This record gives sequence, C-alpha cells and structure tokens, in this order.
Amino acid sequence: MSGEFGALLLSDARLPIGGHAYSAGLEPGLLDGMSATDIPRYLEARLRTVGFVEAAAAVLAHRTVTRDPDGLGTVHDALLARTPSAPARQVSAMLGRGLYRLGTRLWPDHPAITALRGLGNAPQRPVAFGVVAAAMNLDAEHIARSSLYDDAQTVASAALKLAPADPVDVVGWVLAAEPTISRLVSEAVAEWTPDTLPSVTAPQIEVWSLDHKHRTRRIFVA
Amino acid sequence: MRLGVAGPVGTGKSTLIATLCRELAAELSIAVVTNDIYTDEDARLLRAAGVLPVERIHAVETGACPHTAIRDDVTPNLLAIEDMEAKFTPLDLVIVESGGDNLTATFSPALADAQIFCLDVAGGGDVARKGGPGIERADLLVVNKTDLAPHVNVDAEAMVADAQRARDGLPVLALSQRDDASVQRLADWVRTTLTGYRAGSHIARDPGPMAPHSHGDGEPHTHDDGVTHAHA
Repeated sequence: MSGEFGALLLSDARLPIGGHAYSAGLEPGLLDGMSATDIPRYLEARLRTVGFVEAAAAVLAHRTVTRDPDGLGTVHDALLARTPSAPARQVSAMLGRGLYRLGTRLWPDHPAITALRGLGNAPQRPVAFGVVAAAMNLDAEHIARSSLYDDAQTVASAALKLAPADPVDVVGWVLAAEPTISRLVSEAVAEWTPDTLPSVTAPQIEVWSLDHKHRTRRIFVA
Repeated sequence: MRLGVAGPVGTGKSTLIATLCRELAAELSIAVVTNDIYTDEDARLLRAAGVLPVERIHAVETGACPHTAIRDDVTPNLLAIEDMEAKFTPLDLVIVESGGDNLTATFSPALADAQIFCLDVAGGGDVARKGGPGIERADLLVVNKTDLAPHVNVDAEAMVADAQRARDGLPVLALSQRDDASVQRLADWVRTTLTGYRAGSHIARDPGPMAPHSHGDGEPHTHDDGVTHAHA
C-alpha cells in the first residue's frame, strides 16, 4: 500500500476504531464554562500541546517498530509518563484498542503488529497509530500530519454536537489551523528518543479530563 | 448469539431485556451491553433490576449517536462484547441494547446475529404504518405495552395488523409485562432463534437502510444474502 493512501485511511473518521465517542477534550472544557467562541483557540492549544506530543510519539513508535521492535515498550512508557491524567490514558487506550483490533485483523503477521501485540490489547492511541502506520507504509511526515489532523477534526466534529455552529464555519477552523499543523509536523518528525520525546503539557485540559470522568450526563467519553 | 434490541426512546427496550434475563438466566449464560447517549443510565436500570450479576452488564458510550455505535462504527460495541466473551466464556446470549434512536435504527449484522425492534402502543397507533427499516425488517417486531392501549386511545390489534402488513410475513409480537402468555412467547422466540442460530439455519440478515429501488426489468430479485426487498 502506498503511504499516501494509508494516510488517507488513518485520517478518515469513518475508519472503524471508535473515534465517534471522543471529543478530544472539548466537551469537558465547554461543560466547565469555556465559551463556544473559544473553540478555535482550544483547537490550536490542543494541537500545540497534546496533539504535538501524540504526533511525536506516533512518529517515534513508527521509527522504533521499524528499526528495533523490542524497543516499543519503552516508547509506550515514555508516552504514559507524559500523560498524567488517568482518564486521558483510559480514553487513549480505548482508541488504541480500536487501532489494535484493526491492525491485528488486517496485518496479523506484520512484524510491527507482532510488536504491538507484545504491549497487550490496549496500547495508547499514538503508539498504535504509529505501528498501524508502519503496516501501511506511511512515512514520518504522513504520520505526524494524519495524527494532528485527526486531533483537529475530532474537536471540530464534536463541536457540531456540543455548540451552535454552521458546519462550514467549523471546516474553516480546521483550515485556519493548517499553518500550525504544518509547523508542528516538521518538529514532530525530528529524531526523538524515549528520553527526548516532547513533554509539552496542557494542565487545564488534564484537569478538565479528570472532572469529566465523574460527570453522569456527558455525551462524549472524554 | 448476539441479539440486538432497538427502537425509539421509552418503548420499553430495557424492561424487555430485563424480562428476557429474568426468563432465561436459569437456562442460558447471558451478558448485556447497553448503548446510551447519557453514559450508563440503561445499564444502571438493568443492574438495579437485579436480573443479572452486575459485572455481566456493560455500558458503551455512543458519542451522541446510538445509531452510529450500532450501525456505522460498531467497534466500541464489539470490544465490549469481546471482553464479556473473554470474561464469562462460554456465553450463550449477548443482548445489545441500542440507545433510543428512531424508526430506521438497525444493527449492523457485523454486531448482531438477530435483532428485535421495539415499539409501544403509547407512541401512537400510526407508528407501525410509518414503517422504516427497523420496523419492516428486524427479525422480530414487538408492539409493547398493549395493556396501555385503552388508556391512550390506540387500537392495539389494528396496530399489530398494520405492523404485519409492513413486514411482509416477518413475525410481530404483541407484548405486555402484565400478560404472562405474551412474555412466554417472547422468551420462546429467543429460544427458537438461538436454536436456529446454533444449527446454522438462522443467518444474520442486514435490515439496513437500503432504499426501495427498481431495475431496468422492473422485476423483484433476490440478493446474495437471500433477502427479497421491495421495489418502487
């Protein structure tokens, strides 16, 4: 499979990995009183922090599984160390399970998928993303861009269920984020190691995720 | 066997599932997966009913759209079912409840081997006539709460007759929790379907949203899955 085609697959919300239940932290923020007019700024803030760390981790997972599959567990640990919120880890594991299921069904014998299986059946989403991307021949740039684009689109599509907005305006938010995504792609493809993996944090998003875990009337899981 | 239960809000899906668990739990190993917009209310109702051990009831969150969760991206449901199967193997029956959606709500055959669509008389006597993939092509249509019919000015028999006309011979069951004979018919339908499933004679069909269409010759035809559908 060509990497370009694989990137399209991984960026498509119709890929059956359970993403529709996830708002990329937008619902917790809105429930805490964030204004709907701030959603484009939220989208940007996510990309620069959580989104960037996840894209870099996906790139590192891809490189590692391609060069030294035994090292995947260390990458996974490095990502967990950068994900202090337990609910954020849980939802990442939920999305990772969807990707894991996809990968083990479609490429059961691929060495990258074999390495992923070694992590157990609920790997964090960025690691599973990088590994499935390896099975689909994506290069580092495609992985980083797909991962960041997916984060932006998750916020955008959740916004349509949570706040009054014209769907076309929401597309505009994603387009406006393109320069940020492109800049972050070039940074995410750097030669990271588990020790040097970016650790840009978003404490407010983390706190919101902790609050959301205990809400009883939420639409999205996180 | 994976049994889907769909239907609009308030028609009695959770109660129907509780009834099935009560009737069948002694003879079958059962687990339940619910789909809710608002977290786990249906699961809590079932847990409170005390018809199954609580660990056999699992809630899936649907990201605002139960129909997506049971139809378009069934992954979270499949993961929940696979977890249950791993934990309680061997399971005879996994019942999957859709969040109340609409008359077109149907389960993907990738998720459910058989499906029940649930209406109730209180939703209005004309609902069965309106049709929709769930009403027309689910394996069983239940017209629930028939005991309420006199109180909501609905002719339950006419509603059942409408439903039968809409379904072209597929079964319709008039159900009331206060009519034990109807409850037994429901349990028997599940037993019979499960027997057929085990024998390989029950095949999961897709009642999905294929619109009526015509072809050049105007003749009805049979698709690969053995279903003959209506033509405009």
